[in-house]
Amino acid sequence: MRWLLLSLALQNLGRRKARSLLLIAAVALGSGVVFTGAVLMQSIDRSMAVGFTRLGADMMVVPEGSLTNITASLLVVEPGELVLDADVLAKARLTSLGRIAAQKIVRVEHSGIGSHHESADLIGFEPERDFTVQPWLVEKINRPLQAGDVILGAVRDGVLGSQLLIFGKPHVVYGRLGRTGVGTHERGVFMSFATLDALGEAIGGHGAKPAVLAPGKVSGFLAELSPGATPLQARFAILSNVKGVKVVAGDTTLSGIRQGLAALLDGILALMVLMFASMALMVSVLFSAIVTERRAELGLLKAIGARRGQVLGVMVTEAVLATGIGGIVGVVLGVLVMRLFERSLVYYLENVGVPFLWVDLPRMVAFAAGAIVLASVIGVLGVLYPAWAASRRDAYDLVRSGA
Amino acid sequence: MLSCRSLRKSYVSERGEVLAVDGIDLDVEAGRYAAIIGRSGSGKSSLMAMVGGLSRPSDGSVVIDGTDIWGLSDDKLAAFRNRRLGFVFQFASLLPTLRLVDNVALPALLGKRGDADIYGKAATLLARMGLGDHLDAYPSECSAGEQRRAAIARALINDPVLLLADEPTSDLDEQTEIEIMDELLAVNRELGTTLVLVTHNLALAEQAGQIVHIAGGTIAS
Repeated sequence: MRWLLLSLALQNLGRRKARSLLLIAAVALGSGVVFTGAVLMQSIDRSMAVGFTRLGADMMVVPEGSLTNITASLLVVEPGELVLDADVLAKARLTSLGRIAAQKIVRVEHSGIGSHHESADLIGFEPERDFTVQPWLVEKINRPLQAGDVILGAVRDGVLGSQLLIFGKPHVVYGRLGRTGVGTHERGVFMSFATLDALGEAIGGHGAKPAVLAPGKVSGFLAELSPGATPLQARFAILSNVKGVKVVAGDTTLSGIRQGLAALLDGILALMVLMFASMALMVSVLFSAIVTERRAELGLLKAIGARRGQVLGVMVTEAVLATGIGGIVGVVLGVLVMRLFERSLVYYLENVGVPFLWVDLPRMVAFAAGAIVLASVIGVLGVLYPAWAASRRDAYDLVRSGA
Repeated sequence: MLSCRSLRKSYVSERGEVLAVDGIDLDVEAGRYAAIIGRSGSGKSSLMAMVGGLSRPSDGSVVIDGTDIWGLSDDKLAAFRNRRLGFVFQFASLLPTLRLVDNVALPALLGKRGDADIYGKAATLLARMGLGDHLDAYPSECSAGEQRRAAIARALINDPVLLLADEPTSDLDEQTEIEIMDELLAVNRELGTTLVLVTHNLALAEQAGQIVHIAGGTIAS
């Protein structure tokens, strides 16, 4: 019986070829946009997470009186004698700031790094909060960063996994960073706060330890703006709530692009939802017309003993078939569009050094399945009311009004 | 076998309430051939629809083989129509996308009958109607008479106790009309199936054991 109903639904679709093809095309277009949009938005989101983080922080908060070298990207604080309390920004509870990463920096000589008289910047960071160091890793050991590990800036030589002696203490080269164009970042030797603190005695030598290596002290902070906050608002909030600090703002264009793109993605999502809703309405109107046209047939089915559920089943099967096929075609079209996208825009972006990270395959398959299921659900919702209303009517009324 | 009491059917139209059937009492004995005659608009098709469980009466009852059909739930009434009643309509009532054999088998498939050889029985019935070589034909490939004979075969697939035919020959030529009537009468005679036929053709009604004349929604004679 199921096969007969399926065959009935298939043949009914074939009976009105042009209309069925248009319906399938409309659903394919909608589900293709939903599938492609979802994959691209997730991919752009992932790429933004890496790409924009690589653009650096929006602001740097350092002790008042510190000398700062303004660079295109705020990736690292500058070395100096002045320090801040590590919890000074957390205490101020600034809503205009998003992620905040503290850094400690100590400029040392005779450390064993590089040539004998070469100075080196030892930069401590918190791996779990950092967003300006680890995104630049171009190679690393396949495990989390741990105590005793160091990350070398782009111009430092060192083989991954090899031993690096700093003030005679052995450290493991955990990773290497890419070129950033920021001198301190490229020449730096990065490590966790704990690793840097463990070097305190050696760095101080016979004299006092650098002030920044005292517990609870940092050289400064790198911060991102909260969504919607402007650099001016954040600067005002920091200066009015935290005493003794200087705020260095990064390139406001980058903050604007970051926030603008996030808003654009939200806008695209809203448009996709609207398009989906309008497609659902269109399918509903179309199936309403189809049910009206088929009243005699439905009446006949009732007359020969079809139950209400079976009458509904015939129409729902037909709708699921049409919209499901539309969903599958939409996913295939979406894949083709993305291949085109990959060969053009993504290829260009990667050539100019902007990474584009596609969502992983399981998630892409989940999106494809979701788009097909969603298309079928639209079909079911579209046909459900008209078919339900028809199934409630007397068989004789249906036969008479459709004959 | 068939007993209708105080059957009444009214429709609401733009011009107000229209009374199609007005308090009809009707009894038909098992195995009989009853003809319901009357002019167009007399209410005979509305009466037939209520008797066949296709249109809910505004008032009154229909009892078939001891079952008050309008006291049944929707699904039970559908099952009753499926297993106990057979219909032949006044128009081409086959599903155009199914082969003749599928059309004939459909009521048995809908009723989930345990009979494993539904298609075998459908083929036998089509052969009985002279359509043994049209099993795989689609309705559009058949003449009006062949389609009507296939509809009779479909009506018989579940061995109904009551066969209802609503002007089954009104759109056919005279020769085909005679052939279709012969088939219906043969079913009544040979299988003992009670036949209720609605027609406005007095000649077709002459062979009936019981003639009910409807006029203005009531029994005139």
